[in-house]
Amino acid sequence: MRRYRFVLFRPFQFLPVLFGISIITFVLVRLIPGDPARILLGTRATPTAIANIRAQYGLDEPMWVQYLYFLKNLASGEMGKSTLYKVDTLKLIVTRIEPTLALVVAGVVLALVIAVPFAAISARRQGTAADHAIRIVSTAGIGFPSFWLGAMLIILFAVRLDWLPVSGYGERLGDKLLHLILPGLTIALSLSAVITRSLRAGMIAGLSSDVAVAARARGMPESVVFWRHVVPNALVPTVNLLAVNIGWLIGGTVVVESVFAVPGLGQLMVRGIFSRDYMVVQGVALTFAVATVLINFLADIITVALDPRVEI
Amino acid sequence: MSVQLEIAGLAVAFRDHREERPLLEDVSLSLERGEILGLVGESGSGKSLLCRTIIGLIPSRKLRVTQGSVRLDGDEILGRDMQAVRGRRIGMIFQNPTSHLDPVMTIGRQISEGLRHHKGLDDRTARAEAIALLTQVGFPDPARAVTSYAHQFSGGMRQRAMIAIALACDPEILIADEPTTALDVTVQAQILRLLMELRDRRGLSIILITHDLGVVAQTCDRIAVMRHGKVVEVGEKRALLAAPQHPYTRELIASHPSMPHPEDAVITHPHDRRPIFEIDDLDVSFPVGGGFLTGKREVRALKGVSLRIWPGETVGIVGESGSGKSTLARAMLGLTRVSAGDIAFDGNVLTKDRDKTLKHLRSDAAMVFQDPFNSLNPRLTIGQTLAEVLKTQGETRSDKIPSRIGELLDLVGLDRSFAARRPRSLSGGQCQRAGIARALAVNPRVIIADECVAALDVTIQAQIVDLFRDLTQRTGLTLVFIAHDLAIVRNLCERVIVMHHGEIVEDGPSARVFHQPERRYTAQLIAAIPDINPDRPINCGPPSTQQEYVT
Repeated sequence: MRRYRFVLFRPFQFLPVLFGISIITFVLVRLIPGDPARILLGTRATPTAIANIRAQYGLDEPMWVQYLYFLKNLASGEMGKSTLYKVDTLKLIVTRIEPTLALVVAGVVLALVIAVPFAAISARRQGTAADHAIRIVSTAGIGFPSFWLGAMLIILFAVRLDWLPVSGYGERLGDKLLHLILPGLTIALSLSAVITRSLRAGMIAGLSSDVAVAARARGMPESVVFWRHVVPNALVPTVNLLAVNIGWLIGGTVVVESVFAVPGLGQLMVRGIFSRDYMVVQGVALTFAVATVLINFLADIITVALDPRVEI
Repeated sequence: MSVQLEIAGLAVAFRDHREERPLLEDVSLSLERGEILGLVGESGSGKSLLCRTIIGLIPSRKLRVTQGSVRLDGDEILGRDMQAVRGRRIGMIFQNPTSHLDPVMTIGRQISEGLRHHKGLDDRTARAEAIALLTQVGFPDPARAVTSYAHQFSGGMRQRAMIAIALACDPEILIADEPTTALDVTVQAQILRLLMELRDRRGLSIILITHDLGVVAQTCDRIAVMRHGKVVEVGEKRALLAAPQHPYTRELIASHPSMPHPEDAVITHPHDRRPIFEIDDLDVSFPVGGGFLTGKREVRALKGVSLRIWPGETVGIVGESGSGKSTLARAMLGLTRVSAGDIAFDGNVLTKDRDKTLKHLRSDAAMVFQDPFNSLNPRLTIGQTLAEVLKTQGETRSDKIPSRIGELLDLVGLDRSFAARRPRSLSGGQCQRAGIARALAVNPRVIIADECVAALDVTIQAQIVDLFRDLTQRTGLTLVFIAHDLAIVRNLCERVIVMHHGEIVEDGPSARVFHQPERRYTAQLIAAIPDINPDRPINCGPPSTQQEYVT
């Protein structure tokens, strides 16, 4: 149990990290050229109207005062009123979090469903045609950008074959799952490429490792050697790789959500940037940061569970 | 006794698209029921490959058996389905228990895995059996060990665990591939005793692979000597050791460090001059772990070490792994931070006047490292490596450098043509000679050699030790020779320092320390050296069964 003690202490380290991230996003958003009040009111707005809006949202205060307001809002569970949507940003984020979360989960699950068997086939039949084919596909998977891949999937499965909906999210669970398949697959194809390569390398090393030799020497059949000794050892580094990639993926949903018109955080972020909605942009950025930190925390817990040697 | 395993005319060859090269040629051997057969040879002699071939685990697809037969109780097993034989009839243990045990599976599950597979036991019975096995191989708390992982144990306990796993399904034959090479000498003695005990209790037949003739002399009934893929000599232990027929066997026996060296002259240097090294109350601690919010722990690698080394002395520092001998060497050369105490080199106090002392140290002291390959730059030829040192030192005129390189190579017994070769094309022994030449290039007054022969074969070890002896006698060099192998130190050094848990437990002339050790620890260490004389058994007494938890 001593090895899990970090679960209690680690969250205290998140505070300074998140504090730093909040400052950086706050400042960066305000460095984007353009004025939210002007964009909100259009090109014909009078200077008085603009000044009113600026005063109403506190945009006329010095930046550090605005930051203190932001902190004060956070403490009372708010993120500041969106200039575009006219509601509190936190409420907006809460309603948009589900599609994004579902998308990421779908992407990761599909990626594992693809990667584990592919890596296993590739590693156990190293050098055969199957291995080469899988390696070519996974190299290609890393190379294709997700907006292109997403568009191709739409053309094939939604337009030509008409099996799946083109875009959107749906209302009921079954409908939602149906809508998640194509965007999830878009994420999974590039993510699984990375995982397949890492797993394959780990498995190949494992198959010729001393652990495998020892297991064979005590008469274990090859399938036991592989699934019980090689795979668990190959999973450890892959978990960390996966954590890094999921962090990157959460930011990447911006693109996939735009392609598939999924009403998630990514889409909210894009709209926020276009209308210089400072509150929304910094709120979503902070949410992404929290998610990334939490995922790495989770990966650490899984690593400790998988590898008894690890102490954090 | 009846023959249990019969190998006849076995040949294994390496074959790729370019060439076919024999690795084992016409190997014929037999193993009798209940005997321990020692398989001796240096690296590359084919002894491990032979054992892998017996159980059908040839390490590469490019190797194949070209002829011969292996019969187990009269039945041919070569080329048959070996899964029912491996583990069930022939068990195997390996040199490095750390890498052969699954790090993410408990010891208990690794034992019960075989029991469930081969014997069809259910989980509970298999677990009970695992506990019984761990008790048998000397785990004092088997119920706890069964749920522990390999990294929680010391090297010796890991090897015991591997033996328990190999014996789980009651094999008749145990193949032990260098089972004690990675272990300290006292632990080696314990494991060897355990193997002999198991042989007696279970009627096990054992093939013991080793490079150390001392180990076979202590444990085996018969010895087979291998070289270049052939068995050059087989015989009963005493007969073979007393009257070796093959010249190679004679060479092996003569190279064994426990053999007295003809020029074992005891030179004692007068201690009236100023010591070259003066070390007082030296403490070195390393911080371990520690992060944000969690406290740091400290490991004290050296605890109040005081030591004088006089010019011209040959001093051996011995101790088991973790005794602090390497830390002491690094501290003497200013390569590690000192927590407390003083080190003075030639009157300059390192801890006070660091820069000046370091300057002296760099030009007057040199180090020879354990791993000869990795301590030489692979991209430079030996000549370039030496030239670099000579240029940096700046005492040799640049037009004299080539001739000085030639002299250095002469000094370490390498042909001058080696100056143009890279480490990759050198053998281990040649690399170590080049490493010594590099150390000599600065014309040092002191050489500190840290385990510099540990990675070498015995005959090469003997050559390097001879080289050091020659150098110290001819040039008046001061040598600090660090080793875990006491027998080598006894042969080479006039004075020996024994370290244990970061402290010096004994310091005195080799002849005195090895014949009448003052401290019990030293006596234990000496008694554990496997002597090549079979009538001088390794230390007897109750098996030490301390279950050490590392964490």
